[in-house]
Amino acid sequence: MTDLWNISLIISRQKTARKRYFDTFQLEVNPDEYVLDAVERVWAFHDRGLAFRHACHHSTCGACAMLVNGVEKLTCITSIRSVTHNSGKLKIEPLRNFPVISDLVVDMSSFYTNLELARFTQVATLKDASLPYEKEQLDTTHERLVDCIECGMCVSACPAAHTSEKYHGPGVLAAYQHSYNQEKDQFLLEAVDCQDGVWRCHNAFECSSVCPSNVDPAWRIMNLRRIIIQTRLGRLFKK
Amino acid sequence: MENSPSSSKFMRWFDPRYRQVGTWAFILNRVTAIGLTVYLVLHLFMLGKLAQGPEAYDSFIALAKTPLIKFGELLVVAAGILHGLNGIRITLNSFGVLVRYQKQIFIILLILSVTAIAYFAYFMFFLA
Amino acid sequence: MPKKPHAIIIGAGFTGCALAHDLALRGFSVTVVERGEIASGTSGRTHGLLHSGGRYCVTDQEAAIECIDENIILRKIAKQCIEFNSGLFIALNDADLEYAPKFVEGAEACHIPLEKLTGKEALQLEPNINPGVILAFRVPDGSFDPLRLALAFAASAHKNGARFLTFHDVTGLFQDGKGVVAGVEVWDRASDKKISLQGDIVINATGAWAGQVAAMAKVEVPVVPTPGVMVAFDKRLTQHVINRLNEPGDGDILLPQRRMTVIGTTSFEVDNVDYIPVIEDQVREMLERATELVPPVRNTKMRGVYMSARPLIGTIVQGRSLSRTFKCYDHQINDGIDGLVTITGGKATTCRIMAEKTADLVCQKLGIQSECHTSEIVLTSYRNFYQS
Repeated sequence: MTDLWNISLIISRQKTARKRYFDTFQLEVNPDEYVLDAVERVWAFHDRGLAFRHACHHSTCGACAMLVNGVEKLTCITSIRSVTHNSGKLKIEPLRNFPVISDLVVDMSSFYTNLELARFTQVATLKDASLPYEKEQLDTTHERLVDCIECGMCVSACPAAHTSEKYHGPGVLAAYQHSYNQEKDQFLLEAVDCQDGVWRCHNAFECSSVCPSNVDPAWRIMNLRRIIIQTRLGRLFKK
Repeated sequence: MENSPSSSKFMRWFDPRYRQVGTWAFILNRVTAIGLTVYLVLHLFMLGKLAQGPEAYDSFIALAKTPLIKFGELLVVAAGILHGLNGIRITLNSFGVLVRYQKQIFIILLILSVTAIAYFAYFMFFLA
Repeated sequence: MPKKPHAIIIGAGFTGCALAHDLALRGFSVTVVERGEIASGTSGRTHGLLHSGGRYCVTDQEAAIECIDENIILRKIAKQCIEFNSGLFIALNDADLEYAPKFVEGAEACHIPLEKLTGKEALQLEPNINPGVILAFRVPDGSFDPLRLALAFAASAHKNGARFLTFHDVTGLFQDGKGVVAGVEVWDRASDKKISLQGDIVINATGAWAGQVAAMAKVEVPVVPTPGVMVAFDKRLTQHVINRLNEPGDGDILLPQRRMTVIGTTSFEVDNVDYIPVIEDQVREMLERATELVPPVRNTKMRGVYMSARPLIGTIVQGRSLSRTFKCYDHQINDGIDGLVTITGGKATTCRIMAEKTADLVCQKLGIQSECHTSEIVLTSYRNFYQS
């Protein structure tokens, strides 16, 4: 039996049309449990008013992404042990760069709208689902759900997304790259070849560093840039 | 208003917590860029003054040999080296080249830069 | 033009969302009230197995037929979130081999397509399975993303006018002068306000919590929350779903999903379903079972561990022998309280037929003639749920 830890959970609260504030809860937890479990305990035993998103508890749905001690984490696979110590604190806040609906729940509707515009499909062949630099099988007979779980952590971590609301953001641009790789449709390139598309990125690489799911959005953005430049140069020389 | 400036957005750029190598490289490039631009303006101003004759030139050279100005010039050299090398890294990355190694490349160029700056420092303060 | 009947559905898991879709198609005005996010109860936590029915074709043929029929329909209408790579039932010892002829017979009785493979062929298909595999059967199993399946139904319902009120807790059911349930009292957590919603019919689709919600109208529903543990591993070790060729037991399903492998599950009873801590012994058991089926699991890092409480119907007998089919309770017939219907039990794979039967009952109660079309209509993209 693992020894239990005593930790404080400092959770960001915000109700409609009211100012944001923090609530502190003391919990006794098994450190091998996940941060999401701790948040759920707070809801179950301390405050039923706490609003937070979660569904699958095993990193396939992307709903439980939150800021834990200032860093984006997918809380269902982030063990308490990895982010704090006995008698430690856990500051839990909603993702950045999205409007807050309530407590830890953010409004990601524009993110989803843009993913639809990118014609991003969740199921692809094994080959299309993985990145070209990975030595995975070039299997086209089996299919799987792709890496991106649409959690929004990349958008939350991106400094450019913080400054510019119109910026497509890493997740959406990665989705365009994924779709282009499958469809090779010029329209997709034109949609991101703009001031608020691939060219807004400043190479901070924060997105790839927080992605819990092997998407590597930064690589995909640079890949799109390369394809766009090659296409443009090609057109220039054809004339 | 979309894309409108705000003080919180401005302050977030200067929040150093939990940032990765990529963001530090970006911040470094911005700071060195500002430094080099300021230097360029000062340099042109100085050149303008020098065109006024030999006495202006001599007094300027005397000033240039003081340790404070020498240190300032070292900073300019440092800025130039860092901005240049990082600029090459960013350009390569932007064309989809070596993106997966951006962290390692940054570390290497930091080491190269520090070595080059140390050499220049030695040259400027002990030989010249 | 007669006013549309207003149905209030409590619970936005698979059942609630599929029902909202069905009723909206049949011309109802629908409001779904959910205390969390869509699928934040049991539904979200399913490991995501799209059953072929093979698991039940010997012990529970009614369930097996339901599964294979719905499997074919879901593959058509919910393609957007299903990995369809088939599944294998593998025999590792003599006990398993003895089960094989029963399995073949059962599959035939339930019209589940089977393909028999030798141990060698199975290993060629899936090099990571136990090298001691003697024989295997291929079945049309699949793997789906739980949240997105629920969202796909919800998005389709939303497109047809259904309203989803998430983060709204139902605090009570109120009745009109004649004792008929006429609506729900709701607490909107986002704005911390209490509101009343009136409806022509209230449907309790809260799965494992069906008993708790029914109690608000002072009726009983015999649902037993039965949790089990699931473990997700950090590598996709197989392309097919791997099942043990034997009677349903603990830890005998191992499925691929994205870059993971998920194993489940166990079975035990609890009282409080709102928070169930993980039991370490059960995790160890899962690890052993998984390793039997796919040995490389032993060296694969665990990515996530969690508990999921399924709603099993019946009185408490033994956890695993309770029927997994679903039941609609018309509380007017059972308890003399009109205006309230409960639907509970079932599994994710059968959510659409659960919704169809419930919608049929609701229409019958309200004297409405209608047909179900949900088996033909391809669901809209799950992302459209978030559009206004």
